[in-house]
Amino acid sequence: MNEKTRLPGVARIGIGGPVGSGKTALVERLIPALKARNIEVAVVANDLVTREDAERIRRSGLIDPARVLAVETGACPHTAIREDPTMNILAVEKLIETFPEVEVILVESGGDNLASTFSLELVDYWLFVIDTSDGDDIPRKKGPGIVRSDILVINKVDLAPYVGANVENMVRDASQVRSGRTVILTNCKTGEGIETLVDQLAHDVLFTA
Amino acid sequence: MPTYTKVLAHLSQPDVADRVHALSHDGAVEFLVLSREDTLRRRLRGTTDKGTEVTIALNRDEQLSDGAVLSLDADKALIVRMSEERWLRLEPRDTDAAIEAGYFAGNLHWRVRFAPGALLIALEGPVEHYLQRIAPLTTSGKVLALQP
Repeated sequence: MNEKTRLPGVARIGIGGPVGSGKTALVERLIPALKARNIEVAVVANDLVTREDAERIRRSGLIDPARVLAVETGACPHTAIREDPTMNILAVEKLIETFPEVEVILVESGGDNLASTFSLELVDYWLFVIDTSDGDDIPRKKGPGIVRSDILVINKVDLAPYVGANVENMVRDASQVRSGRTVILTNCKTGEGIETLVDQLAHDVLFTA
Repeated sequence: MPTYTKVLAHLSQPDVADRVHALSHDGAVEFLVLSREDTLRRRLRGTTDKGTEVTIALNRDEQLSDGAVLSLDADKALIVRMSEERWLRLEPRDTDAAIEAGYFAGNLHWRVRFAPGALLIALEGPVEHYLQRIAPLTTSGKVLALQP
């Protein structure tokens, strides 16, 4: 196997979005997709008053459970990723110290609303996940998460016909409010769109493409 | 494509400024213009003023800033320039309107500055998005919004 060129630091990628949009499912898809590209991964999962998401990822069998840390925010989830990301920064630093081979850390926020954004003191790059069952007018509402994220992920495309959502309109509206920045469609149940997303991460922040 | 992994120096250093100035006579200085927000990132991809695509990967203890030198040798230099920040100026008509505007800006997590008689809002996206959000204040005449 060829020796990899190791870049300084660890790429930190935030994953935010409303409750139930599929953030944890996306993490569960990204872990094997990144590992398949020989990229070492660790995860910080935020929850409001439990450690549900971190436990789910630990139990998934996709990753060494020690590489998953939980942050229990206890209050508004956006506070812990934006106004005062100290708890998350400490968790990230602990993972880097414990696993120096790690190249990318996924920071999954607690479920929040459309106003949620990440501090760039915490992450280098961030995704915002919405889903078709939230309603196809969501992109037009121009929440900061939708407008300012580096990639907008529209998940659960398979559900669109059952909830009367027009995916084409969602993509058109999202592209418009995001001034053409990247929008990617996924179905985290089947893995649809995940390779496209990882290609984009490899190009924009991992620099492996 | 080059990946820059260190901030080597800063234009505020006189010897560095002299070397960069000398290179500029030969057109050998490239500038990477970044927004304030992008200078906070340690990983990013960008395009210089001469069209060169570059990637940057820094350790967490290093930070990009206006004047950061990413490359400097006998033939060429690469310098970071921070784009000028744009501010939307809100002038409330009275104290009640000022309180309302302050609440609004805080609730929307906007970054602000204060000026005599005005609240300045940092524009981190299209100004239209901001004007739409404060439309109830401006259309009612409570606040005058002056674009940069």
